[in-house]
Amino acid sequence: MAVLKKKSRPSGEVPMSSTADIAFLLLIFFLVTTVFPKDKGLAIVLPEESSEVEVSQNNILHLIVQPTGIVDVKRGESQQVQQMRPEEVEGLWRQEITGNPNLIAAVKTHPDASYEYMVDVLDALHAANAERISLQVLEN
Amino acid sequence: MSMKGGGFERSSKASEEIPSSSLADIAFLLLIFFMVTTVFPSDQERPIDWVEAESSKKIDEKTKNILNIWVQENGTIFINDQSYAIDEVSQVIAPLYRDSDRALVISIRGDRDVPYRTMDQVQKELVAAGVVRVVFAAQLEQQMQRARR
Repeated sequence: MAVLKKKSRPSGEVPMSSTADIAFLLLIFFLVTTVFPKDKGLAIVLPEESSEVEVSQNNILHLIVQPTGIVDVKRGESQQVQQMRPEEVEGLWRQEITGNPNLIAAVKTHPDASYEYMVDVLDALHAANAERISLQVLEN
Repeated sequence: MSMKGGGFERSSKASEEIPSSSLADIAFLLLIFFMVTTVFPSDQERPIDWVEAESSKKIDEKTKNILNIWVQENGTIFINDQSYAIDEVSQVIAPLYRDSDRALVISIRGDRDVPYRTMDQVQKELVAAGVVRVVFAAQLEQQMQRARR
């Protein structure tokens, strides 16, 4: 009576019928999780045409970007010039804005200065959370 | 000798169902075909030396509402793969800006060595076209890189 029969005979192959399902599952997973790289940059808002606003000189911090990349800092109407590197503008702005919350940064770039230097200054201002920024070209 | 069907018997027994085992293969084939043939509408990359900025942020606008203005080192300006003179920029941008319901964001991709004179002219052209939102496209500068400078 000792008859022991194998009840099921497992097939020797890995079941292949669900590979398509697995492939689709992976596909949909990657479709959902893929994020296309977005462009990055420093956002500014341009003024509207012919909308000039008179601002008191006391509220202006002049940042003059020289062709060498050095920034000349002038406060309002005073002739005193302080020279610094673009990275140092961040600290300066943080310091100045606590004294005068209405301060406007007037970035005046020399026409021959590289675009790179203007971006460095703008970057420093953005890093210091400056909101009122005016971009101009230096005129003599 | 009389046989049913006059001696002819069905030689093959065709199944009544359409074979569905190759359905997944067909789906994949179509998928791969469309993946390969899809072209995303974007303008050609221009050879520029990117400016770097530590505090550059992602542009908060749909990709279709971003228009790139490329300014190369020699001052040539490219918009949608076409070269324009600097004083044509506002005429080119103005209709595009109107068509987008004033949602267009202009991304200025300037070479780092472009003299600021050119960039200022571009900005003035954009103001003339009525554009408000502008981004100076910049690569994210790593903190480490900055420390090394």
